[in-house]
Amino acid sequence: MNSKLLLMAVLPLFILGGVVYYLMGPGTSFLYTTLPLPDVTIENAVFKQGKIIVNIRNTGQDTVTIAQADINDRPWEALIKPTNVLPRLATAEVIMKYPWMEGVPYQIGITTSDGTRFAYEVKTAAPTPEPNFELLSYFAILGSYVGIVPVMIGLLWFPFMNRISKQWYNFFLSLTAGLLVFLAVDALKESFEITHSIAGAFRGEVLIVTATVATILVLMMLANRITIKTVKTGAMEVKTKQLYGLSLSYMVATGIGLHNLGEGLAIGAAVAVGALALSKFLVVGFAIHNTTEGLAIIAPIAKQKARIMHLLALGLIAGAPTIAGTWIGGFTYMPVASIVFLAIGAGAIFQVVYAIFNWMNKEMESKITLPHNVAGFIVGIVIMYLTGLLVAG
Amino acid sequence: MLQTVKPVLTKVVIVAVLAVMITTAAVIATATVSNDSSDEGVLLSPMNSMVQKYSLDPDKYLTEFNYGRVSTMPDGTTLREFTLIAEDVQIEVSPGVYFNAWAYNGTVPGPTIRATEGDSVRVEFLNKGSHPHTIHFHGIHAGDMDGVIEWVYPGGRFVYEFTAEPFGVFLYHCHVNPIEEHINRGLYGAYIVDPKTPRPAATEMVMLLNGYDTDFDTENNFYTVNGVAFHYMHKPITIKTGEPVRIYMINLLEFDQINNFHLHGNVFKLYRTGTILTNYELTDMFTMSQAERGMIEFTYKYPGMYMFHAHKIEFADKGWNGFFNVVEGETTDGGVT
Repeated sequence: MNSKLLLMAVLPLFILGGVVYYLMGPGTSFLYTTLPLPDVTIENAVFKQGKIIVNIRNTGQDTVTIAQADINDRPWEALIKPTNVLPRLATAEVIMKYPWMEGVPYQIGITTSDGTRFAYEVKTAAPTPEPNFELLSYFAILGSYVGIVPVMIGLLWFPFMNRISKQWYNFFLSLTAGLLVFLAVDALKESFEITHSIAGAFRGEVLIVTATVATILVLMMLANRITIKTVKTGAMEVKTKQLYGLSLSYMVATGIGLHNLGEGLAIGAAVAVGALALSKFLVVGFAIHNTTEGLAIIAPIAKQKARIMHLLALGLIAGAPTIAGTWIGGFTYMPVASIVFLAIGAGAIFQVVYAIFNWMNKEMESKITLPHNVAGFIVGIVIMYLTGLLVAG
Repeated sequence: MLQTVKPVLTKVVIVAVLAVMITTAAVIATATVSNDSSDEGVLLSPMNSMVQKYSLDPDKYLTEFNYGRVSTMPDGTTLREFTLIAEDVQIEVSPGVYFNAWAYNGTVPGPTIRATEGDSVRVEFLNKGSHPHTIHFHGIHAGDMDGVIEWVYPGGRFVYEFTAEPFGVFLYHCHVNPIEEHINRGLYGAYIVDPKTPRPAATEMVMLLNGYDTDFDTENNFYTVNGVAFHYMHKPITIKTGEPVRIYMINLLEFDQINNFHLHGNVFKLYRTGTILTNYELTDMFTMSQAERGMIEFTYKYPGMYMFHAHKIEFADKGWNGFFNVVEGETTDGGVT
């Protein structure tokens, strides 16, 4: 019985294997009626003292051999590591000694053995930061100002939120939902933008949608479990409510933390390639923008007693990833990881918004469709839009 | 019960966040520090390395003149018979770059055909390639020998017959549409007609300037003299001080409007198209548009390494440059001009 079932499960796979062998195995040639076109993606360019380094990836169907490299369409001597023969999806580092100048645009080209040239544009050359303690701490301070400090300031609305009327409280809960929706949409927009810089083979757009949906589902499952547990403890209803509020706050903080990780990645990467002139104005802009995140975190627990340790932990979860993000974004190059992080962040936030609506509906007996709640939601979006203008451009 | 768990959880969260951040920093630091030290890898150096396969032989091409199978016709005219075969070949045009060329007799440029003014020339053409081709000669001939209308299909044959006239520096190339493509693929060569009274003795060479658009975007990726980028940088052409040198020069570049030749440390006599024996221009620059050509003559006074290259530096950077290695001649007397 069991072995029969196993056979039923495995048989289609065996047949599939046979077909794949027939199509790709030795001695078959009909899939190669035309030569597959080579495709090489230059993923990024790093500018060091007297050196330009580009990282390339074979994103074509077949193994490629890199024959030459050029700068501004003029052949230039290059050292390619580890080798110039790249199997499908393999990467290599191409190092060129070149007296590049800061602030000048460059085009880097790679020519394969069949004479096809692939080019990469650098708008303005800027020295890529070397990771040292000084810069790590610089990024840490930057991340703190952009992430931790504003979130902590936002948490200080706790006493205010604690004392306002129920209706105003629901208004602020809706406002929080508005803030969060804006953040999630913003994260999705950002991640779709990054897909332009990665190879088509990675299918960035599909990755974003899948990661977002998967995150929403996983978090819903976890949230369900928490709710069931609180029901089980059911002896004191108020306490379960408190617990649910606290878990909701932790979920909001986690969602915002993932979002801030993505934001940190973007800031770090922009500083690294010199695309972002990191003005005081911009840091202030991010700080104001992110202060609203603190409000969102404390909203679910505002009507109950909260331990200071919880508030601190919530602030750290939401804010600290910004620092990690700036480090990763500033010193490494992982656009696919950035996309996935941003998508997970977006999914987490969408789930949180759903949970807030749920919470309002069940525990606060207040529907999001009530006029003051709709107003709060819209005000939340408008606040994000306006403070977002501070960091635009 | 959950309530007692929570505060512990909070501490765990804070510790976890800090731990993750510290490891991130450590990983980044170690990953990027260990990065830059080793010198392993492959050096890609189009200017300083030779092509590996040498499917073409620019050294042989430089001084190889084909006079054909010679016989005398009943009326006393010299008959020169040639055979040119079009075929598909892969050639290495620059280090590591292989181009699927179409070539006469397997080489780019095709063999240099040479006759004397008034000779009867008969060129048997066989097409062993995979596309229709022709041979279109520049010079004076009948319309049905022009290699434009009569396409020769794969497996086909055609015989071009004409009298070599006038004397000068000419060329031949395929004239099948799209012509740009057939030229870019390498179907061309030099055709030289000598005057009946031979020119003064000199060391003679052919330099055919060409380009390759290897990714078919109607822009040349590589520029060469005699088929292989940077060849004469690695293998300079050795001549002697006082030695008269004559170069037949043909521009077969497609896509770019002009091409030119600049000689270092010297000036040369330039005979445009080589059709006039007496008038020349003394210069160090020879600029040609598409299919233009000429003859230059010079003698070096001092020994040394002298560059020659396109003074359009882009072309030079992409392969069109070389060196003359001028060595001390044994005797400086003896009738050199």
